[in-house]
Amino acid sequence: MQALRFERVSKRYPKGALALDDVTLAVAAGARACLLGPNGAGKSTAIRLLEGALRPTAGRVWLLGAEVNGPGYPAVRRRTGIVPQGPGMYTDLTAAEYLQLARRLYGRGDVARLMDVFGLEPYRHTMLAQLSGGYQRRVVLAAALLGEPDLLLLDEPTVDLDPVAMHEVHVLLRQAMEGRTTLLCTHNLAEAEALCDEVIILRQGKVLVHAPLAELRRQAQAQVRLAARQGAGALLAALQEQGLAARRDEADGTVLVTLDDPPIQAPDLLRRLLAAGLDVYRCEPVQATLQDLFLELVRSKR
Amino acid sequence: MSDPQAAREGQVSRMVQVRALLGKELRQLRRSKGALLSATVLPFLVLVLIPLGQVLGVRGAADGPRLPLGSALPPGLAGLIQDPAQLIVQVMLPLYITIGGLIVPSVSATHTVITEREKRSLELLMALPVSLQDILLAKLLGTLVLALVVVVPLFVVDAVVLLTVGAVSPGYLALLFIVLLAALACSIGVALLLALLARDFRTANNLNGALIGPLILLALAILFGVPGLQRLVVLVAVLLAAGAGAFLVGARWLTFERYLA
Repeated sequence: MQALRFERVSKRYPKGALALDDVTLAVAAGARACLLGPNGAGKSTAIRLLEGALRPTAGRVWLLGAEVNGPGYPAVRRRTGIVPQGPGMYTDLTAAEYLQLARRLYGRGDVARLMDVFGLEPYRHTMLAQLSGGYQRRVVLAAALLGEPDLLLLDEPTVDLDPVAMHEVHVLLRQAMEGRTTLLCTHNLAEAEALCDEVIILRQGKVLVHAPLAELRRQAQAQVRLAARQGAGALLAALQEQGLAARRDEADGTVLVTLDDPPIQAPDLLRRLLAAGLDVYRCEPVQATLQDLFLELVRSKR
Repeated sequence: MSDPQAAREGQVSRMVQVRALLGKELRQLRRSKGALLSATVLPFLVLVLIPLGQVLGVRGAADGPRLPLGSALPPGLAGLIQDPAQLIVQVMLPLYITIGGLIVPSVSATHTVITEREKRSLELLMALPVSLQDILLAKLLGTLVLALVVVVPLFVVDAVVLLTVGAVSPGYLALLFIVLLAALACSIGVALLLALLARDFRTANNLNGALIGPLILLALAILFGVPGLQRLVVLVAVLLAAGAGAFLVGARWLTFERYLA
């Protein structure tokens, strides 16, 4: 079953910007998908179309089997939890009051339990705007979970948070996403990698890639990380002499060399480097990160 | 589940949602000193202080104004000009009631509708399972409740004083109350239009003036131009028509996209 579906959807804003361009995609029930892409790629527009805040210029959008803004939509919206991107916060509504409002709108939910789970109890009478960014995000996430939703739509849930608050929200998100279909819209590739197993990359309003993360990793070229006492320069020169593609990893000064089959080729390569007089003290296979895959895909499809 | 049954359940659920949102609006209005102050001080001046001051001040005045020979008066004033007390009661009092009814909702609507948009807290509401129609309905109902809470007691003060001094009959007071309700309804319609057009407080205040100002002039024209009690009937009809027109235009064009833009 598909949890959400875009069928030939385009969205052009009144001032002329084309945010989505003939997009067709579907996310299956149970999937944890991330929506990636540079600024202006159309990620937030996609989320807003799903939450019914925007209407497509062309095409149709379905949420949990009901067409958005169609007859069955109000019912499926109550089965969907949404975390919006950096919303404004009420200066005249407390955390408890906002959650009580959410409970009444969902028609169900245990506010006291969620306040306890999210550590909000000490702040129940604090106005939303007076909470720290991390706690504001907790309130919004708690509101999204009040209706025990089948589907979570998360639009940049950790944007602008400090590293500690971001880590705390990640822990809560991981628990919240357990057993739920999730569409996570983010800039943060590490976040997407940690939380999702399916990747949708948008660029200029079009779907560039839509595949399971594991499949993308399988398709990615395998690499081996090398380090030698003589330094990265000497290693790069030796590898070039052997006709291998390699680059320096600026993060730690090691060298990454691309191999077709590391288990077969790496031992032989290591022997040759040692024979050439290089004191190699590090040689390990590297799993491509989502950032590597993202950059590779975006570059290759340019 | 049959469709009518589903529709019935949807209706109940929608009522619950609007009530929940209305509770939020009223809570926020109660906490907004600015909105409460503007929604009470101005109406006190327009509905109580100025009209009662005029009614009480004109009592005992023997003559009307001396007009230049040959000058013509509008039909609504012709029969009243020699009786200043009746002029105040039949023309100025309905005008003040109309102004009071028009300004209270527009002031609080500026607060409830525009603040949400300006502070981007509307996105917090949008994240919850609720429609824009219900959000705005709750805002307009909140505005109406506040207006009634403020305006009705002030009208009662007027009524007690006017009846005590024998300036009006109970029947005429009932007509004035209908004028007040029509002005409130008109202002609610205008508030919805305001939600569509205004982006921030400054624009909202300017638009308020641009929308309410002509309505006050129109009311003045009706009160001056139509003789007898028909002036109040015409005034009520025009206020309701203007409010319904503004409401229909607003309801037709307002979408989340426009409200968020």
